[in-house]
Amino acid sequence: MTAAGTVYDRGYRPYDGPLGGRRAAVAALYRATLRRALGFRRPWRQKFLPWLLLGIVTIPAAVNVGVAYVTRDTPIRDFEIINYRVYVGVSSSLLLFVALVAPDVLCPDRRQRVLSLIFARPLSGADYVLAKLAAIGSLLVAFSLLPQIVLYVGNMLVDQDGALNYLTGHADVLWKVPVAVVLLALYYASLGLALSSLTTRRVVAGASILGLLLISSAVAGILGASGGASPATAAVNLLAIPLYVRDIVFLGHIHTVFRLSEFGGGEALAVGVYAGVVAASITVLLWRYRWSEA
Amino acid sequence: MAGPLLRAVGLTKRFGNVTAVDGLTVDVHPGRIGLVGANGAGKTTFFRLLLGLTRPTGGRVEVAGVDVAHDPAGARARLGYMPEHECLPTDQSAADVVATFGELAGLPRSAARQRASEILDLVGLDEARFRPIDGYSTGMRQRTKLAQALVADPELVLLDEPTAGLDPLGRDGMLDLVARLGDFGISVLLATHLLDDVQQVCDQVMMLDAGRLVVSGQTQELLERSGVVLIEVDDRSDLLVAALGQRGVHARTTDDGAIEASLTDDQQLDTIAEVIADLGLPLHRLTTRVGSLDDVFLRRAPAA
Repeated sequence: MTAAGTVYDRGYRPYDGPLGGRRAAVAALYRATLRRALGFRRPWRQKFLPWLLLGIVTIPAAVNVGVAYVTRDTPIRDFEIINYRVYVGVSSSLLLFVALVAPDVLCPDRRQRVLSLIFARPLSGADYVLAKLAAIGSLLVAFSLLPQIVLYVGNMLVDQDGALNYLTGHADVLWKVPVAVVLLALYYASLGLALSSLTTRRVVAGASILGLLLISSAVAGILGASGGASPATAAVNLLAIPLYVRDIVFLGHIHTVFRLSEFGGGEALAVGVYAGVVAASITVLLWRYRWSEA
Repeated sequence: MAGPLLRAVGLTKRFGNVTAVDGLTVDVHPGRIGLVGANGAGKTTFFRLLLGLTRPTGGRVEVAGVDVAHDPAGARARLGYMPEHECLPTDQSAADVVATFGELAGLPRSAARQRASEILDLVGLDEARFRPIDGYSTGMRQRTKLAQALVADPELVLLDEPTAGLDPLGRDGMLDLVARLGDFGISVLLATHLLDDVQQVCDQVMMLDAGRLVVSGQTQELLERSGVVLIEVDDRSDLLVAALGQRGVHARTTDDGAIEASLTDDQQLDTIAEVIADLGLPLHRLTTRVGSLDDVFLRRAPAA
């Protein structure tokens, strides 16, 4: 064999570099979950839908800015297709994103029994839940914030009175949007992951997420129409719960378009149901991934 | 590390009325250790106890000096684990999977990718490492499972039936890999019901039966203490067999004219010497027959 064709068996080299603990492991699982959700290192089919949904969510913002630019010298220059409050959570694309991605980052781990490898690492069940929740929550925050940033910056740039004037006139948006977006993301992420943790099949999990939210909305409507509106009837509508909370952040109260606004204590009830759903979802997740009996 | 690699003291695990591990007390030192027993003997439960994935009903276990009950994550940081069952994400490549599990073990990202490449070279997964796992053969999947167990440079790697599903060539390749791990200073705990695999690569053996430790020790010592001696005298073998029988030593003449005596204790060796001397027989050969682990297990397991 010539020198150019020589094969070297390097054997095994011990690793003597830095080794992180649980925190590093959780961060690694967080990054791996983000990659999976966005389709990185996977076939194009897994990339297409998440990015399509992001594009769809951003369209209203782009259109609104375009309309504002075109009408800036006309009497209808203050016309808005969508405002910041309504933009938080109104898009069904976010719901579809959760129904698509939450099952995809949980179900295969259980179905393919990858969990036995994951929990052979210095990770607890709670660490696993934290990483998954943080990853899906981060994506929902990003998908919700990006269109809002497009909308805000666009409006700033086309404002006739100048960007600084727009900024000072809409400074409250700079904290209301992020707070409302984070609360929305926490709700959808925890609920979506909790339902996904109950099955090994992605299709069943996705259908369960959409079904629970849409059916609860329909049931609330039917109950309200047949038996008359009541706080309990309105609170059954799981699809509307994050929108009530959004309104409380933006307006200090639930908007009058919702029946719950007609009742005293509606805000407290909405916050209570929101907290209950999130707490119950996280409890389900911790129970499903209580890998150790400890 | 001054102490043993593994220490179990009265380790017990019950699932309802079923006792999976029963009062296991053993010190295991670095090396290649075979953990043998039939299906349901408690091997996988023992692995889960070492990984801190299940809490013992009684007793305690330490891995490299770390009490698993107090610090399961610390124990797992010292271990690599290759399960028996299918456990790989099939839509990813081996390179991605091994690198990801390296990161999950705490390696920095670039180090994890570098280690993954080196370990996949070691286990012999070449260009296939970049293809999705769902197209792999059983042997390639077993090698990938082994690679993810090694990527973080563990002190001890737990292998649960690593040759399961492999053809004879694949089995030899896997056992050769396992033997090489010992040469690289990585301790191996190999759980299997195949005693031939253990006899081939392991220098220590622990035998479980119904959750109990029935025997443990150096493989070669166990084989040599087979309890069978071979005796060659002159053509009066039958006389010797009868005399030994009268002294409580079970013996028989083999096809080639030698005498095979089964000893129940070491004192019977002295008895054999006395009988031969009393009969005035010329002793041509007196050796211990090296048996197999099957013999050791069959001899010890019923007594437990």
